[in-house]
Amino acid sequence: MTGEWGIYIVLYFWLAAVGGGAFLIALGLRDERVRRSGAFLAFIGIVIGALLLVVDLGQPARFWHLLVGFHPVSVMWLGSAVLALSGLGLFLMLVLREWPGWLVWVTAVLVLLVVGYTGVLLMATARPFWSASPLMPWIFLASAYTTGAALLVLLGNREPGLHRISFNFAIAEIVLVALHLIWTYPQAQNAVQAALSGDLARAFWGFVVLGVALPLYLEAQRRAASLAAVLVLAGGFLLRYFIVYAGQTDVMRF
Amino acid sequence: MPKPNDYAILFDASHCTGCRACQVACKQWNDLPGEATVNTGSYENPPSLSSSTWLRMKYTEGIDRGEVFWDFTRDSCMHCSSAACVEACPTGAVNYREGGVVTVDQDWCIGCRNCVQACPYDAIHFDEQKGVMDKCTHCYDRVSNGLEPACVKACPTGALHSGSYAEMKQLAETRLAQVKGAGYEEANIYGLAEMGGTHVLYVLLKHPSAYGLPVGTVTEKRKVANGWLSAGIAAAVLGFAGVRWVAERREERGGERG
Repeated sequence: MTGEWGIYIVLYFWLAAVGGGAFLIALGLRDERVRRSGAFLAFIGIVIGALLLVVDLGQPARFWHLLVGFHPVSVMWLGSAVLALSGLGLFLMLVLREWPGWLVWVTAVLVLLVVGYTGVLLMATARPFWSASPLMPWIFLASAYTTGAALLVLLGNREPGLHRISFNFAIAEIVLVALHLIWTYPQAQNAVQAALSGDLARAFWGFVVLGVALPLYLEAQRRAASLAAVLVLAGGFLLRYFIVYAGQTDVMRF
Repeated sequence: MPKPNDYAILFDASHCTGCRACQVACKQWNDLPGEATVNTGSYENPPSLSSSTWLRMKYTEGIDRGEVFWDFTRDSCMHCSSAACVEACPTGAVNYREGGVVTVDQDWCIGCRNCVQACPYDAIHFDEQKGVMDKCTHCYDRVSNGLEPACVKACPTGALHSGSYAEMKQLAETRLAQVKGAGYEEANIYGLAEMGGTHVLYVLLKHPSAYGLPVGTVTEKRKVANGWLSAGIAAAVLGFAGVRWVAERREERGGERG
């Protein structure tokens, strides 16, 4: 294992965002069954994601050191805390037949923090591609809603609002990504070039063409909703892949 | 800001010949293995710090108006007063010790590498064998026993000094006046304002950016605050938009049915 943040981190960002996004959107829908399946998806995403984070540590057996101190300035610490608490909240929602109102609210806020803190985590670094623009949380949140809605569609929900959310947030997302690349270019030329035409070009253009453009076309044509949803989910992974690796292009390997 | 009695190091670029005695002494005192590297066309070696290279000489080489220039700077932990690695650490394993020294408690570190991403000086690294972080200790085992850090002890030209922060700052100001008097108008002291004031000060003959040093550094606390602010606005704006889009769609559908 190298010192870089690698594929486990990418997978974790993706799972937490997809599950968390699906949960938050499902809460906005009126169907009780959909809300319950949203809680289940978020729980699965967060549990597997948390396990990946532990495996990624240099000393996995010491993961509990994260939970016994109080370091609120550290985004990593705050992220671990909300990750653990949101897992607890979602577990309670899964086992309780009636949801108390406070539990829904508290868990929703915790899941929103889980989805959003990853962007703050990347912004609070010395890596210009992540920190030179304030857009990381925007991109991750928009992508969480796009992919979350896509997952609900893929599982058979035909609520028209879902298509609308997936479509509109995909447009917001691609605009935000374009803005981010332009914004960070002066300080992170190597990273932006790696994404546009270098080592990460496949992931980046895969995200743009297969993860955004093609599903938008299919949605507009009202065709192949499931295929579009699969493409959006794959795009969410490629987005996180190129962002995580591009941020570390200037890290020396020798 | 560093306290007057904190441990401090002064690097005086005007006296450095780039001999790398400091780099070797650091390896020897701290029992650090060598690195397998390849020649990249520069005398600078290794090309960056790592978990087993805590100090190296950075060579800035090139030709300016037909004149060859070859500038040397120290590349190591700056022992910041508002250290990004400490503030990014989720367990408190990377922390300030007595005298402003920043070290890693390797028995408590979990190896999450958040400090690597946060450090603007690339001075803390992941040790793949141990699974924890490693960095310059300011030779805490020496300075706490009244000795100079190994790098300072080894310097043969007087480019490195150590002592209390007040003494080092005073010496830096004296040297700055001397080199300015000798015609180096761009000379400056680096580290007074960066990251809350660093415990390693540099006297430089050129602008810090000419040596590849980060200028206009932002503390981790500021970055985190900006991050949460941006995330909060994003959550509000995108959440509001999402709720509206769903509601609008419902109304449209309702209208169609009606």
